[in-house]
Amino acid sequence: MEFATNFIDLNALDVTYLLVVGFIGGLVSGFIGSGGAFVLTPAMMSMGVPGIIAVASNICHKFPKSLVGAIKRAKYGQVDVKLGLVVGVSAEAGVLYGAHIQESIKAAFGDAGSNLYVSAAFVIVLGIVGTYVLLDAVRMHRTGHAGDEKVAKLALWVQSIHIPGTMVYFKSLNAKVSVLFTIPLGFATGMLAATIAVGGFIGVPGMHYVLGAPSLMSSATELVVAFVMGVGGTIKYAWSGLVDIRLAMIILAGSLFGIQLGAIGTTYVKPHMIKLVMGTIMVLVLLSRAIVIPVYLADLDLIDKLEPHLVSGLKNVSFVVLIAALATGASIIFAALWKGIAAHRIELATAQAEAPVAVAVAAPSRPQLSPIGRFERFLVTSDGSEYSAGAVRVSLRMAQKCGARVRVISIVAGGNAELYAMGEQLLARELDTARAHLNEVQHEAATLGVACETEVVQAGDIHKEIVSQADKMNADLIIMGRRGRRGLARLMLGDVTAQVIGHAHCSVLVVPRAAELPGRHFIVASDGSRFGDAAAAAAGSLAKLCQTPITVVSTMLASHSEQRREEARQAVNRVTSFLKQENVAVEGRLLEGRPDELIVGTASDKQADLIVVGSHGRTGIERILLGSTTERVLNQSKSAVLVVRAA
Amino acid sequence: MIDIRAIKSSKLFAITATYGALSLTLYVLLYLFEDSFLALASNGGWFFLVPVATAFVFSFVHGNFTAHFWDMLGIKAKK
Repeated sequence: MEFATNFIDLNALDVTYLLVVGFIGGLVSGFIGSGGAFVLTPAMMSMGVPGIIAVASNICHKFPKSLVGAIKRAKYGQVDVKLGLVVGVSAEAGVLYGAHIQESIKAAFGDAGSNLYVSAAFVIVLGIVGTYVLLDAVRMHRTGHAGDEKVAKLALWVQSIHIPGTMVYFKSLNAKVSVLFTIPLGFATGMLAATIAVGGFIGVPGMHYVLGAPSLMSSATELVVAFVMGVGGTIKYAWSGLVDIRLAMIILAGSLFGIQLGAIGTTYVKPHMIKLVMGTIMVLVLLSRAIVIPVYLADLDLIDKLEPHLVSGLKNVSFVVLIAALATGASIIFAALWKGIAAHRIELATAQAEAPVAVAVAAPSRPQLSPIGRFERFLVTSDGSEYSAGAVRVSLRMAQKCGARVRVISIVAGGNAELYAMGEQLLARELDTARAHLNEVQHEAATLGVACETEVVQAGDIHKEIVSQADKMNADLIIMGRRGRRGLARLMLGDVTAQVIGHAHCSVLVVPRAAELPGRHFIVASDGSRFGDAAAAAAGSLAKLCQTPITVVSTMLASHSEQRREEARQAVNRVTSFLKQENVAVEGRLLEGRPDELIVGTASDKQADLIVVGSHGRTGIERILLGSTTERVLNQSKSAVLVVRAA
Repeated sequence: MIDIRAIKSSKLFAITATYGALSLTLYVLLYLFEDSFLALASNGGWFFLVPVATAFVFSFVHGNFTAHFWDMLGIKAKK
């Protein structure tokens, strides 16, 4: 059938071609939030689809694809909807203005002028931004900070500017930013989208480097921006009857497979991979457009005329490089996905093999968002002494069960006068000894199949360094040994362990040198407070993993009133009910006497290998005056003690 | 003994198959009524709602199918 708008007939080959290109485009979009659609317009035009219909059909497939991708990545907590909508709305204005400029240039200089403008935009924008993104990815990889993104100086400056009446809080930035910064960014994104069909090449780096959003969140939020722009563009073109719904839906069929896979891929990679894929594609696309610039210059009589075969040759090479750009990006994503899934499966298999009856334990139906019950990243401190040997041993076994990553640090004195007093040779020997010890730990971890990294750290204030290291890696747990100092000696000398518990923002596991943690029995101390609840939640998570029974202990003094006793009874019932709901074998005990003695005594009776207590986080004089049950338990217990930090 | 994983896997297969069948139906309908549907979608004016609504319907049905498809193959996001 013939249509006024000249829609083409489709054969099986065309459909297959669109499905494949759509799939690869979707894969790239799902991963970097954008950049998958730019090849589709020339791909459709190479089939004989008129340019304007190719553009209209491309944008009509783009918005539902972005919607599906945004929903998928929102499930992983990567999308900042508010930022996406704010940038998206201003991007819509940018699209309209960009299209207006395009039309003006076309009217003044014809097709060749328009093409030259588009190519110049490609070369300038992709040349500057693409090269910067790629170099940043390489730098992150080389310096070993592939997973550790810092907020750019420019973004810190932008976040520091306060313009009354324009400030908006964005969760991806965890800061307020003036919309006077987001509007130009969105506008530029829209203008680029109207010019080269991919606004994300400005949107993603802009949200990351200018506003300060993590690259993973920037790429995911760009899908919201693309959705907003896509809806607007589709309405505009469909109003003129230019959308070939068949082409759009066929591409969508392939691209939705791709975008799901790309989105899944983001959960397995470090942030620098997003930049690597985006930078590589941008630089290759830049090359593709640079190749045809001589053709447009010749058309405008700015250089000598080119031979016809040279013109068609350059255009063909340009198209092949364009396809290669997308294929290269897709290959990097596939490789990263494959590697990530394989590594994750090995981790899970190892953990499952170690867990006594892991098969019977149902996996939690919801992801653990609270750091209280999450055990994925451990920071272990070790000085190579017998006191920290237990901490290292237990941490590696536990990481094996939880599938956690472990970072072991050894702290050597530094940064103060002592360092210089020690002398260089002595310091060098200290460092060498620490490195040798950490090498042994790493070897042990490799034998157990545990992902482990080690580092010798020089610091003056040991507890501050440990807390800072834990914060930097977002540790769920700090694992350390116990020196065994008690009473006055501990107070006078200052105990690093107690200091870390007081200041850490995560839970701390203290392991006496002879302790083991096979998961025989856990004791949870509950006083009915939110600190006790946090302890119960964390113990429940671990108990489910190891199929370990729990005894909940609540204590009261003989002097307590009946009302206080009833509260203690209710506290035990509440915690035991919660743990039963979590399918943990649990019993409750309401005991009378000194809390620390009763907790340690029950642990001894039950031959428990772990006592779990909540932390009030007190340090200094307040802690000493009030007396801390937790500290006394720590000092008396022969088994490991997990001090859980309540949120 | 009841194998929970087997139940979950058969349920997942049933959901995937349902969305797959629905998606296939939509594409078959698009193929069978290609000309008239294309004419309707390219009428212009307020008929812009046709391609927009079509895109939403396809993205919902086919999007759910593709999500469950990778899940069924064991390709899942890392928790």
